[in-house]
Amino acid sequence: MLLLALDTSTEQVSVAVGRDGTVLGSVQLAGGRRHAEQLAPAIEYLLRETDVVPEQLATIAVGTGPGLFTGLRVGVTTAKVMAQALRIPVVAIPSLDLVAYPLRHSSRLIVAVLDARRREVFHAGYHAVPGGVQRAWEYTVSSPAELVADLETVTTGILLAGDGVARFGDVFAGLDRAETAGPEHAAPSVAALVALATARMEREEFVAPWDVHPFYLRQSDAEIEWDRRGL
Amino acid sequence: MTCTLTTRSAAETHDFARRLGALLRPGDVVVLAGELGAGKTVFTKGIAVALGIEETVASPTFTIVREYEAPLPLVHVDVYRLDHLQEMHDIGLDDVLGGDGVTVVEWGDKVSRVLPVERLDVRIEPGDGDDDRVITLDGAGPSWAARRAALAALADGCADPDGAPEPGEVG
Repeated sequence: MLLLALDTSTEQVSVAVGRDGTVLGSVQLAGGRRHAEQLAPAIEYLLRETDVVPEQLATIAVGTGPGLFTGLRVGVTTAKVMAQALRIPVVAIPSLDLVAYPLRHSSRLIVAVLDARRREVFHAGYHAVPGGVQRAWEYTVSSPAELVADLETVTTGILLAGDGVARFGDVFAGLDRAETAGPEHAAPSVAALVALATARMEREEFVAPWDVHPFYLRQSDAEIEWDRRGL
Repeated sequence: MTCTLTTRSAAETHDFARRLGALLRPGDVVVLAGELGAGKTVFTKGIAVALGIEETVASPTFTIVREYEAPLPLVHVDVYRLDHLQEMHDIGLDDVLGGDGVTVVEWGDKVSRVLPVERLDVRIEPGDGDDDRVITLDGAGPSWAARRAALAALADGCADPDGAPEPGEVG
């Protein structure tokens, strides 16, 4: 079974084609903040080079964030449109999981940290379990200092990963017992997306295209108070 | 610190905004408050001139966000057509604010809860004459505290946050 996987929750555009959990090919474009221009050509290139026609795809897998708004919207919209046009389902996976999963062989507390802008980070902690990782706390947005304060109470070793760690390196440098995974772990892994989405496909845990939404974490529930009504 | 001044025409408001624009730095957020016709867009145009933007700056009422390329880029936001605070996140506000430009938010006082605390609030209100405008500047945070003297030099008078309101202040 063939799937197309894409994640655009950070500044990186990541696309992969997978077959039965194996990555046939992948494209990663780092740092351009040009998701809208790069994603569709990257998909086209990758499908051509892996000799896959869109009609062969069984699923579209997408990283849904939390992440940067502009990229996330491009990726999620592309996934929805392709799935709808091809009449295939979507597998939606939180992007923080895609940072943690490649580190699943570590016995330490894995903390995935993505830059959320505005001097905040999106984060979640994970423990390795057989075959994957299990989330230790809710997906959260907070200041890096708040996260560090929480991590200071952790008594085990800590492995930090994600672009938020380098971005706020000065804040995380104060943490004892913490090590930072290499720069190859800065962005959500599209190979992890292929692996996790394949498992979901096998369990038939699909989402309809119209039920896929970007996951922003920042919520503001109030109406804007205008006194212009009736104008 | 709150500073106040009065302008006598749209041209004077534009000129003042241009001089204020020269003080702006990457990452600054300027909130423009004032009723329809107060001169918020005129004000933004003055800032754009200061940043060296040659394009015509039009009110982004329908596009909500417009970006202008310049050495110090300008992001012009107009929230007038939004109904819900969540829409501020939905327009990519966090990405905009994380950029290296200056962000000007028309009607930003209506959505101040989701804006950074560190910002310059500009309130434009009617004065005595038809074309008079009383402009109140309120800079919050360390970066505006550091520009206190420069702001004061542009205004008629300034007061500390805890001090008495300026005589010219309206509302």
